[in-house]
Amino acid sequence: MIASFGPEARVTAALRSPGRLVVAYDAECQLCIRCRHWLESQPTYVPLDFLDAGSPAAKAWLDSFGAWLGVELVVVSDRGEVWIGPAAFLMCLWATTEYREWSYRLSGPALAPVAERFFRMVSARRSGLGRALGPGGCDDGQCRHRS
Amino acid sequence: MPNPFLVPVYLIYTAVSIGLVFWLARTLFRNGAIFLEDVFEDNEPMAQAVNRLLVIGFYMLNLGYAALLLKSESAPDAISAVEVLAQKLGVLLLSLAVLHFVNMYVFYRIRRRATAAVLPPPVAHHGMVQPTWSPTLPAPPLPAPPWPVAP
Repeated sequence: MIASFGPEARVTAALRSPGRLVVAYDAECQLCIRCRHWLESQPTYVPLDFLDAGSPAAKAWLDSFGAWLGVELVVVSDRGEVWIGPAAFLMCLWATTEYREWSYRLSGPALAPVAERFFRMVSARRSGLGRALGPGGCDDGQCRHRS
Repeated sequence: MPNPFLVPVYLIYTAVSIGLVFWLARTLFRNGAIFLEDVFEDNEPMAQAVNRLLVIGFYMLNLGYAALLLKSESAPDAISAVEVLAQKLGVLLLSLAVLHFVNMYVFYRIRRRATAAVLPPPVAHHGMVQPTWSPTLPAPPLPAPPWPVAP
């Protein structure tokens, strides 16, 4: 992972990277809302936008992936690439400054199966987990958002 | 004079430890520069400044530690004098080795943080959509297809 990065390699890597990500999450579930607030409080390498997966805008835009909306996490880049499920979770980690290395670790051969099962499990049980956590969002706007 | 061998032991120890620290610091300075120029490639003076500060810290830490190690209890004959000298140099070298690896780890951390900023996504995407939606900007119109559309 710590390959030599000359100026040309840096440019190539930058060209292969999205400049912006849209996170289409389930705005009905408390856990997802908490995760969104956490992600908003993180410093990131690329700007993140959040989109309610149940909204008409999301349905119209991501029509070809409609079956996944609200079921699995969906992340879309500014170039139109779509990631679904565990890969979308990894893209959220990839966007953060603190945990970009973890996105590589969790997608590596050693941890990828475990991470995939974990993300699928959390995603499938998110409503139950959210109920267990209780409503604890950020309705008053007093939590640690970037802006 | 109860310990006639202590003075030569001290002299040799001082000379060897100063030489060793100087040599190691020069090596660190020369090779660390390559690492740091890669990290601060758009800011050459910054790379030199960080490198110089690291080496200064290395000098202070090691010379101070070597000075603290100098004192020894007794060396009544030549054999024990050699043993005392060898033990001191051994402890000094091992400590320098530990510090050296700490230093290398610091360089590694600095460089890893810099390379993480340009790493591409770790996973391949599943599909494509029109990249139109944005929370602030209205969607741009779709470009006309370049091929003739069948009626």
